[in-house]
Amino acid sequence: MKGILYLGALVGGVAVLLLVSMVLGIIPPETVRLVEGYMPMQMVFELACFVAGFTAISYLLGAAGTPMPRFWQGILFWVFVWVYLKFRVYPPIPFSVRAMYGTVSLVAVFMWMSSNEEDWKKFRQPILNVLDAQTGFHRAIRTLALILLPIIIGGFSFLSMKPSSEEPIELRTVHPAPPASTKVHGKTYVLQTSQNPYRVNSEGKYDQEFSNARIVEQSMGRLMKSDANPWDPKAEGYLKYVREGGEIFFQNCHFCHGDNLNGRGLHAFAFNPIPANFTDPGTIAQLQETFIFWRVSKGGIGLPNEAFPWASVMPPWEQHLTVDEIWKVVLFEYWHTGYYPRTWD
Amino acid sequence: MRNGLMTSKIGSILMGAIGMTMVAGSAGMWSFAQEGGGLPEGFKKSELVNLPSAEMIEAGKRVYFTKCVWCHGVEGAGDGPAADRLWPRPRNFNQGTFKIRHTASGELPLFDATKPVAGQNDLFETVTHGLPGSAMPPWEGILSEEQRLQVLSFVTSQLVKDRKFDDKASETQTVLDLAGLKATPANKESIDKGAQLVVDKKCVECHGTDGRGDGNAFNLKDDWGFSIQPADWHKCWNFRGSRRDPYNVKNIFRTFSTGLNGTPMPSFADSTSVEERWHIANFVNSLCERDSEGNPLPIDPLTDKPKINFVIPSFSVEGDISDDPENDMWAKQGRRYVAMGGQITHKPRNFVNRIDDLWVKSLYNDKDVVFLIQWDDRTKSVAETKLPWEPTEVNLDQYGVKEQDPKTGEESSIAGHQNKYTVYNDAVAFQFPVKWQEIPPPFKPRYLWGDQKFAADIMKWEADGSIRAFTGTGWDQDFEARDDFNEKITIMKSEWKNGRWTLMVKRPLKGEYEEDTQFDMGKYIPIVFFAWDGHNGDAGRKMAVSAFYYTFLQPPIPREVYIYPLVIGVGVILLEGWVLTRRANKRRGKVL
Repeated sequence: MKGILYLGALVGGVAVLLLVSMVLGIIPPETVRLVEGYMPMQMVFELACFVAGFTAISYLLGAAGTPMPRFWQGILFWVFVWVYLKFRVYPPIPFSVRAMYGTVSLVAVFMWMSSNEEDWKKFRQPILNVLDAQTGFHRAIRTLALILLPIIIGGFSFLSMKPSSEEPIELRTVHPAPPASTKVHGKTYVLQTSQNPYRVNSEGKYDQEFSNARIVEQSMGRLMKSDANPWDPKAEGYLKYVREGGEIFFQNCHFCHGDNLNGRGLHAFAFNPIPANFTDPGTIAQLQETFIFWRVSKGGIGLPNEAFPWASVMPPWEQHLTVDEIWKVVLFEYWHTGYYPRTWD
Repeated sequence: MRNGLMTSKIGSILMGAIGMTMVAGSAGMWSFAQEGGGLPEGFKKSELVNLPSAEMIEAGKRVYFTKCVWCHGVEGAGDGPAADRLWPRPRNFNQGTFKIRHTASGELPLFDATKPVAGQNDLFETVTHGLPGSAMPPWEGILSEEQRLQVLSFVTSQLVKDRKFDDKASETQTVLDLAGLKATPANKESIDKGAQLVVDKKCVECHGTDGRGDGNAFNLKDDWGFSIQPADWHKCWNFRGSRRDPYNVKNIFRTFSTGLNGTPMPSFADSTSVEERWHIANFVNSLCERDSEGNPLPIDPLTDKPKINFVIPSFSVEGDISDDPENDMWAKQGRRYVAMGGQITHKPRNFVNRIDDLWVKSLYNDKDVVFLIQWDDRTKSVAETKLPWEPTEVNLDQYGVKEQDPKTGEESSIAGHQNKYTVYNDAVAFQFPVKWQEIPPPFKPRYLWGDQKFAADIMKWEADGSIRAFTGTGWDQDFEARDDFNEKITIMKSEWKNGRWTLMVKRPLKGEYEEDTQFDMGKYIPIVFFAWDGHNGDAGRKMAVSAFYYTFLQPPIPREVYIYPLVIGVGVILLEGWVLTRRANKRRGKVL
């Protein structure tokens, strides 16, 4: 038991040391990198390390007869939450959101500290000691706090009032409500009833079950099923259309949406908002195929105002592609990401 | 039929490669290989690695045909569907020519399917980190480590056709022992020596006097006959071999020691000592863009380019604004990085934008606002004859400004076409919404030259020395000239020097007419930048474009900012007094 605790303390201690020295720049900040794709797992794992470490350290300190005061446990935990959110999580979280998390964790710390009368007293005691200033040490701290507090609060309000040129925050609707129908190359498509003419089975009938069985696998790498290779010279029907769609994608779309359809194309770095990441479960996986058809055909310029049409560089693809080509690209995007289009029912 | 074509193509490429070898050999670059004796300094002999297992190769085929075939093609000849619109063109694996290696010039790169170790597995690192500045993305986080090794097993054994990775008869492995070499510290002495060495070793002939890749930029071709440009040392994040660690001098040392196979960049292993190579690497690394304190720019891990701040502050100065960028009033202000992508929304799309960033500063006084824009452009381009279109025209199809067709074959691909364009003017423009005060944020006129509802105020400078003001009302609407405003805007400086343009333009803060943008202090005024490289055939909509940025005229600090915090501080002191009194009373048993 003790061995496990020592191990936990070691893991937690090393983790804290690593985090602090990365934050302070003692070692390069990318020493332990968050890697996209593994990121959620990685963060859960890291937090588990920290929790194990904290538990073990506080237990061992207690067992060694020098328990860490409740007061400092609470404060340190709260500081840790702030540091982790501010310096570790990537992409960075805006201050307003961090403030929210910070408040929630402050409340949590208070609940933890005041879960029973005795703990609450222990937590309160250091504060009261300083207020009462019975010893020289406490008096010094009180004096220091009395002087520093107005300076810190005044300074903070000065900094926040000083005119700064931070980028204005503009919130954009990513998936605006689609129109009922859209007219592309002279033909009207009703979004509720239109179907992708290339999502067909071997008899040439619309068949989502059939195509769903042939998309890439939803595991690391998202590789094609070994018996469903669009590049097989014998590939026909659905798989052949997937290949044709892929050719169009890689002649037109990858410049922004990237070779892996993750929105990291060659030109993506220059644009704001960055191009959509189709491998994210929040984009095409959430949408109907006809919605994608409308978005692709009409592009950024065809968006309603809440989606910021002025800032989107997404071309109205009807200017570059035929209707057939657009449907094939949509087909390819679902194949390559391994998602099913949502249906209307 | 296809096979026949392939063979003849490979044949001609081989001929080219042999030609290159002879040229390189005569220049003494490969001499160590012929002499067979001593190894170049810093290198050690190594053994060839066994071929990967059949299972790895078979598994890799599945990865290849899901992810790679789209650019690199069915036979790995770098001729996938995407290839004709890409520059650099995707790698042709067939010849086994790979750029980024730890091995001596001309040798195959390091690859071991059982050892994914940094520094010992060149191809694995290339797939993991991608090749910045090209369309090859980092595959880390997308493909697992094993999948990356699998696909490389397939590529090295099946798609590299002219050479074999385990062919002991004709292949050797001479490996740069980077881990065993001690780097020379990048102090001033070393950097100064490096600065002299890049002249002595003729690096500047291609890379240019200031290292902006503007030297012998136009005659360079790779082994396949595609035009290739020397690296711009000021943009280390675009170095193909930067391994997503662009300010690490080791990457430069490696490239300089081993050369880039298939390109005119030779290995300097034989002609320089290890120490000299460190000096050069330190010097080249010192040129990469840094912030005002000399620290490396923060790199955005999502894009592997410098992090972007979308606000371009303009600072107030008293009196006249200097036209010298080195003047103290300019030098002390921070500059902003403006990322530029190709215009790929409307025809003619620009798939290859050779200007990928601008650096912008701004100052204002009581009358004018001045923008200082600097950007790297390997070529100064001024049209030799008068351009056939009017300056206001934007639809230039009829004049031959066209986008690259998707399927053209190697010969007329975009890579085969580079540097053969009619030369137009280099140019830069930026636009503001005319009536930005009346447009409730976040509304804006469209980024591409405004729209019918909200017009854009466009200022365009061209390398022929002209500056013009236009009103834009849509991406396909010809500009309207604003002659009255032309007289009020001035070019304070425009100069191309050693691969970099410096442009300083002045315009009034307040115009007199309806269509003039009025600048107010402390407001976010949307701005979009456009850039044309005349040698890239850029004109009209074939250009580079930025996202929306904001100009922000920094106002002097108002008095309230000093007063309120003082009041708050005093308030806190009173509060403290109250808490202490209350506590003291409580202890004495009195409750107030």
